[in-house]
Amino acid sequence: MSAAEPLAVFDYQPGKLSELYEFLKRTRDELRSIRKIRISTTFLRVIDVNADFFEIRGFGYQDADAEAVLQNLNVAFKPDSLATPLNGPYKEFGAGKRYPWGYERVM
Amino acid sequence: MATDSKPTSLNEASDRDPMNNNSYGTLSDGDYKQVNLPILDVTKFHEEIVRSYNDGTAEKGLPADLSVARSVVPAGTANLRDFSYIAPEIPEFISGNCTGCMECVTLCPDTAILGKVVGEETWATQIDKIDEKSRDMFRDQWCEPRKYYDGPKKKLGEGGKFTIIIDPTKCKGCAECVTVCGDDALKMITKNDKIIDDVRTSHRLFKEFGPSDERYVSDKLLIDMMLKEENHLYVGGAGSCAGCGEGSALRMLCSATGSKHGDQWGILAATGCNTVYTSTYPYNPYLIPWSNSLFENVATFGMGARMRWDQKGWEDKPLWCIGGDGAMFDIGFQALSRLLASGLNLKVFVLDTQVYSNTGGQASTATFLAQNAKMSLHGKKVHGKQERRKEIAQIAMMHPRTYVSQTTCAHTNHFYRSIIDALEFDGPAVVVCYTTCQPEHGVADDMATDQARLAVDSRAFPLLTYDPRKGATIRERLSLQGNPAVNDDWWTNPKTGEQVDFIDFARSEGRFGKHFDGDGNASELLLDSQQDRLDNWHVLQELAGVLGKKSAGGAAKAKAPAAKPAAPKPGLPAGFSVCNKIKYNDGVKWTNGTVTSAKPVVLTLDDSTEMEISPEVLSEAVAVGIVTTA
Repeated sequence: MSAAEPLAVFDYQPGKLSELYEFLKRTRDELRSIRKIRISTTFLRVIDVNADFFEIRGFGYQDADAEAVLQNLNVAFKPDSLATPLNGPYKEFGAGKRYPWGYERVM
Repeated sequence: MATDSKPTSLNEASDRDPMNNNSYGTLSDGDYKQVNLPILDVTKFHEEIVRSYNDGTAEKGLPADLSVARSVVPAGTANLRDFSYIAPEIPEFISGNCTGCMECVTLCPDTAILGKVVGEETWATQIDKIDEKSRDMFRDQWCEPRKYYDGPKKKLGEGGKFTIIIDPTKCKGCAECVTVCGDDALKMITKNDKIIDDVRTSHRLFKEFGPSDERYVSDKLLIDMMLKEENHLYVGGAGSCAGCGEGSALRMLCSATGSKHGDQWGILAATGCNTVYTSTYPYNPYLIPWSNSLFENVATFGMGARMRWDQKGWEDKPLWCIGGDGAMFDIGFQALSRLLASGLNLKVFVLDTQVYSNTGGQASTATFLAQNAKMSLHGKKVHGKQERRKEIAQIAMMHPRTYVSQTTCAHTNHFYRSIIDALEFDGPAVVVCYTTCQPEHGVADDMATDQARLAVDSRAFPLLTYDPRKGATIRERLSLQGNPAVNDDWWTNPKTGEQVDFIDFARSEGRFGKHFDGDGNASELLLDSQQDRLDNWHVLQELAGVLGKKSAGGAAKAKAPAAKPAAPKPGLPAGFSVCNKIKYNDGVKWTNGTVTSAKPVVLTLDDSTEMEISPEVLSEAVAVGIVTTA
């Protein structure tokens, strides 16, 4: 609970986005319902309802791929201020959005 | 149902329910709730009808007799509805981290998380009586939070031991309790035979442990009311979705009303989601009289029932008319207006999910502009709802002498105070409660509280109370207490330094998903919806007399770039501590008060108003001079 250490770690190499996604897919079932993400200039943490998390190191909100990764993680964030520097230790965004019933229904 | 040998009572253990967890009584064991009615044999109803539904033989085994045809259901039969075989996960309590804040107990939609506090001497005696096999496991689930142990030990000479226990038969595994716990004292775990055996054993021992010791339950802390058995008048076992925001609202309504009137009050419910999941025959989660009206006429039904109760000399027994936004904003709107104009002592509770939740999420007049809902689907030509949301609270305020509140379960003190004030008001009262409908809003099962809080923070659904007893002018009667940055257009989150607006709220819910392009930009219509929410907020500010009174903090924030946010301030601000005298300015006058709790931060004013606010909001209020030490 509130693990100080991540359940899994991935060292991101710039440009290796597919490997980052592969890591997330491979380890996804180790987390429960994803609740939020924290992102700094040096890490991205994917945090579940129990506060257990994966950590992607060497990846931050200033990264060119940050927006795409957050969108793939179903995170609610403001793209236009994502790269704005922050004085605090990290930015935190919720990931509780789901598809409502009949989302793609056409009448 | 015919059987060869007499089966055990449903209120006893069975093969399927080996520890008798699925039984009457919430904090302690209880019996079937008897009623003196010639048309209803409570024991027979349980042993024949509930049993046949529980074992799946009702359709073929029950005769089509008068009892079934009448569909009269005894109180509390949902006590015997067992969900323990449904959810794959269940919360685990980590006692060492618990502070006894009671948020999890209060906000569980299913009465599945239960709290108890007892004096440590009684506790030790009771623990020693437990079978050695289970003693250590059960003992480890008790803790000594400062709230119940340290303070009372100094005052009474004996500290209180506190525990949280899960009822495995009522928990649906939504994880709302884990999400609302700010102390990492709960986590979700996957069920297995050992875990379920421990949970069943703990819950059984908990129910046999006796009631909470009232010396440790403060009536001033409204959030503690669910430590008392008599306030659990919604027993769980309802068929609502996992994490249903409405379920929590109904539970809290029942507790608050029960704390003042016991079980001597009633509910009249307009057909809608709330009636479907609380009266799925033969399961009834209420321990108070309850009846179902047509969709459109609960207010009319209520007026008739009120007059009849008054004729019987029951003027002191409250009646709540409950309905969703479909029933109250739309189809029953005229009847509601008639009720409010009548001056009758009737209370109205609106479960505002902004859609017709029961029938598939059709748009109502409560639906937000641009929201994607059935009957106003987002398509190529029409992009969701084209009309503004109707504001039922403002409309209700303009009726003769009517108490009005707009609240959410996430703001527990505001919610409880609204219910209690509505009950104490000697005339019509309307409490409009924002609740999630997870499948229609497109949010996760554990998000009811988070989204309700965000709805307030983003001005989507401002808190308000309008009490005609407070003065001669609208600004005296209307209070926006509880909203962050009351004097400003939008609130700025001190943790991020970023403004929180309606677009942020929309971004966090699937129902607005089609209004964002691939780069995350909001559509024109959604921006119009944001303006609509701001316009609505300005109307409230104007009525409350705070429009144009920009806070110093707000002005400072407007100048400050987002890159330099205020530093997070955990806990109480410097100079503040529990029992400190404070002064609060609601925009009109100063009121003296006291800090009555640090976690959660609760300010109790001398006029009995209780305000639960986050430490960040308190820090902000101090910074702009709304709150000061006395």
